[in-house]
Amino acid sequence: MKRLLSYLLLLLPLHAQSGLKTAPPAPEVAPGAVAAPTTAEIYRSVVRIEVATQTPDYATPWNVGRFSGGIGTGFLIGPNKFLTNAHVVSNGQRYLINIYGSPTKHQAKVEYIAHDCDLAILSVENFTPFEKLPVFTIGDAVPQLESQVRVIGYPVGGERLSVTRGVVSRIDFSQYSHSRADSHLIVQIDAAINPGNSGGPVVQDNKVIGVAFQGLTQADNTGYIIPTPVVNRFLKDIEDGKYDEYTDLGITDFPLINPAMRKALKLQNDDKGVLVVNVTPGSASDGLVKPGDVMMSMDDHSIDSTGAILIDGETVNMNEIVERKFAGEKVDLRLRRNEEWADVSITLKALPQSRMYAIKYEEKPRYIVFGGLVFQPLDTNLFATQQFNDVNVRRLYADYVSKGLFQELEDVVILTNILKDKLTSQLPPYPGMAVEKINGTAVKSLKQAYELLHPEKAPEYFVIELLGGDRPLVLPAAAIEAADKRIQSGYNIPKLSNLKAR
Amino acid sequence: MKLLIFAPLLLLSACQKLSVTTTPAVPASAAMAEKQAADDGKSVLRVNTTIQDWNPGQPWEKNPSRNRRALGAIVEGHRVITTAEMVADATFIELESTDGTRHAVADVACVDYEANLALLKIANAEDEEKFFAGLTMLEVAETPPLKDTLEIIQVEDNGQTLVTPGQILSAEVVSTFLPGQLFLTYRVKASMQSSASSYSVPVFNEHKLAGILSSYDSKDQICDVIATPLLARFIAESKKESYQGFPNLGISFAQTEDLHFRQWLKIPDDQGGIYITKVRKNSAADTAKIQKGDVVLAIDGHAIDRRGYYSDPQYDSLHWVQLVRGTKSAGDELKFDILRDGQKMEISATLTRQEESSRLVPFYTFGKAPNFLIKGGMIFQELTRPLLQAFGKEWESRAPLPFLDALSNPEKYQDDHERMICLTGVIPTQATVGYEGLRNLLISKINGVEVRNMKDVLAAFQKPKLGSTSHSIEFLDEDLTIQLDDELSNLIDKSLLQRGLSKLSRVE
Repeated sequence: MKRLLSYLLLLLPLHAQSGLKTAPPAPEVAPGAVAAPTTAEIYRSVVRIEVATQTPDYATPWNVGRFSGGIGTGFLIGPNKFLTNAHVVSNGQRYLINIYGSPTKHQAKVEYIAHDCDLAILSVENFTPFEKLPVFTIGDAVPQLESQVRVIGYPVGGERLSVTRGVVSRIDFSQYSHSRADSHLIVQIDAAINPGNSGGPVVQDNKVIGVAFQGLTQADNTGYIIPTPVVNRFLKDIEDGKYDEYTDLGITDFPLINPAMRKALKLQNDDKGVLVVNVTPGSASDGLVKPGDVMMSMDDHSIDSTGAILIDGETVNMNEIVERKFAGEKVDLRLRRNEEWADVSITLKALPQSRMYAIKYEEKPRYIVFGGLVFQPLDTNLFATQQFNDVNVRRLYADYVSKGLFQELEDVVILTNILKDKLTSQLPPYPGMAVEKINGTAVKSLKQAYELLHPEKAPEYFVIELLGGDRPLVLPAAAIEAADKRIQSGYNIPKLSNLKAR
Repeated sequence: MKLLIFAPLLLLSACQKLSVTTTPAVPASAAMAEKQAADDGKSVLRVNTTIQDWNPGQPWEKNPSRNRRALGAIVEGHRVITTAEMVADATFIELESTDGTRHAVADVACVDYEANLALLKIANAEDEEKFFAGLTMLEVAETPPLKDTLEIIQVEDNGQTLVTPGQILSAEVVSTFLPGQLFLTYRVKASMQSSASSYSVPVFNEHKLAGILSSYDSKDQICDVIATPLLARFIAESKKESYQGFPNLGISFAQTEDLHFRQWLKIPDDQGGIYITKVRKNSAADTAKIQKGDVVLAIDGHAIDRRGYYSDPQYDSLHWVQLVRGTKSAGDELKFDILRDGQKMEISATLTRQEESSRLVPFYTFGKAPNFLIKGGMIFQELTRPLLQAFGKEWESRAPLPFLDALSNPEKYQDDHERMICLTGVIPTQATVGYEGLRNLLISKINGVEVRNMKDVLAAFQKPKLGSTSHSIEFLDEDLTIQLDDELSNLIDKSLLQRGLSKLSRVE
């Protein structure tokens, strides 16, 4: 028991919901009143997933990282297809699947993983023991408010399957905390979802209506589930054998509620339309939509002045249209531009650069150690490890996507550390600043920085200028090799650089 | 035992009203030290101030007031010297004799927030003679050498003077009030009695004024004392028709201890030198064409070492700033030995004092109420450091990024702006429907006019653009123009006044 608890505690940081709450004891068998034969049958298809993880440490990118592990839930949705949460299997090295009530652990692997909607598909090496198990059917509707649902899984507090009941208390467009950067449709229920529940099915009339995935630290009895539109989109996306990310219009809008503002834009007082204030350079809308345009309708759904539309009688955020489409599909926008109508058709695409703000998984941190200076590309993993206070770095981070800085800068290279050595001990304490130039050349990627630091013909000095830095850092080229050797052995750095994340 | 107690007073022969006869009768048997203490007590006054600063979030009102008590020293011309900290944002200043028998309302005659010194005078000139009758004025002491013992003066509740001796451990060029404002300060070791009032108290040397104590660390028993020469110069400067203060050069610098950096800069091994990292626009250094990247090897013939210190004849090693602020006045010439691209050269700079108000984002705004303007419920303010500090202790990381950017990178903005105009908040009104979430944004234009300061904002809001019934507001970092209905916002403005707002704008 003690061993299990510590195991589960290790799992906590992996999971979206943190804060260990005492989970209700899992009943050994489902209460008779509830357990219709079909129900008990279904339980067998809810599997326990045990994951061993290796999480890199961005503070010491050359180290192997932290070995840890966790437990989550998954369920069978087709032949050798187990659906679970992405966060259950993120950074995993070994996956084991248990059938309810069986001690056998089956080796599994990740087939698909979607960090932006926190879903993943696993398969086992040998599917034979699972062949007779029933397969869950995934519904296609969002459950009604106040309707009852059951959450099945393997949460903390016991070894065996646990079932809780709750009602649907809210349907919203909200944040998926696994990546920290994505928001999709979300359903809130009043049954608690605890560590270990993650990836488990949420069932209504023996059909899956969602996947349990996150909770709230500050509130009791609130659980969040990924509803079927999001699940089905994921399943459709991977039909072609790979997961493409969600697409992005690349538009920032401002509500047009103020009458004076509507008047100045020559709009009727009918609470329709939102103002475009920013179009991400290089995004799907770039060149088609401009700041100052007023978006009046999307795919013939009229947009109201707060940016909401009506789908199937429900008022939802207009993003919901884009959410349900795939890259290559089109969105038709009707705009008001310079007092005239303009119709544009936007071919949707993902904006990979916007992953700058998402936590990355299954990646090896990229870095360069050079004469004791440690360089790393800026991303959210790094930002979460080192709280950057430098205004220029924070500005680069904030503007990277919205101002299209990525078009110029593949990476924002940061001097993250100065490892003390006789070569570097006199350098000022500048870690946390962005590298502007190396020997006079503007730095645009980590790879290019590496090339600038390893030229064919070494200069007398390497001069590194930092954005907003008081003075350049100067290292004599002739002393680098010896310093690198000392630093490698002294600081136990197996490799002086890693330029590839995968 | 100290020398004759009356000796210092005799030196002040010009001051007729100072008479030994006013010394209260001391029992003949009393120890000499006690008598001295009593006499020292006659040249100090209690300074009671009420400090009230402006509320940065609601700039039309002041924060709750708080009181401070300290001691000031009487100097020539019936002036009382104390720290600037004591009178910064003071709404009321009162002088009180140590025996509690006399009170007088005082004004600031001269203040230097950077040097942390202030001279006070009796507000009603007619009361001056009467108030100072029987009190003795102090002369400024000779510059004390290191290791000299100074006397720290405190006054107990019963009016008795308490003298604590303390030895000067070192002289350093540090800040005693505003960060980054470096002035000569003595570190004095003394075991002081804790006092209810502020630690701003006079420090004597041989019954002359040797400094003002600005802070006391009771754990280490170390005091910071504003140094004698600074005091003397401040008093001398204050007599000039317009106070010039202490000049500044307008540079930032880095040390050159780093060997490789030195080699790269081609600084000879037998030299020190500081590397210039920033030259403030229109500063004395800028005018003299001192550049970023120059290495200053010597100032006025004093060699500057790798850490930025020079050898002072009296106080050993002192920060180079002392050669500028501590010894020179605005208008004085200063000679710099400079290494530029490995070549030695000499540059002569005429020192000036750049007023803090000339900075894009002023560091301090004491005594000046913040400018603001309210239109239809939208609150516009000028960006200052006190405004940034209102974002809490960790303002340097928590204040809005556009604001911090303007503070850190003024060169990006200062050609187009005298002050940064910010939208700091929106009072929910009928005119601001839909704008409630807007805050902490920098403003670029109002009604199509670029706004460089609050005066421009006031002028731009006078009337909407031709043919428009609303005011347009544009932002610096966002491609967004919002509108405020003219008629409606005028009505709202009136109702805000009725709701108790004292005024709709302050443009000074």
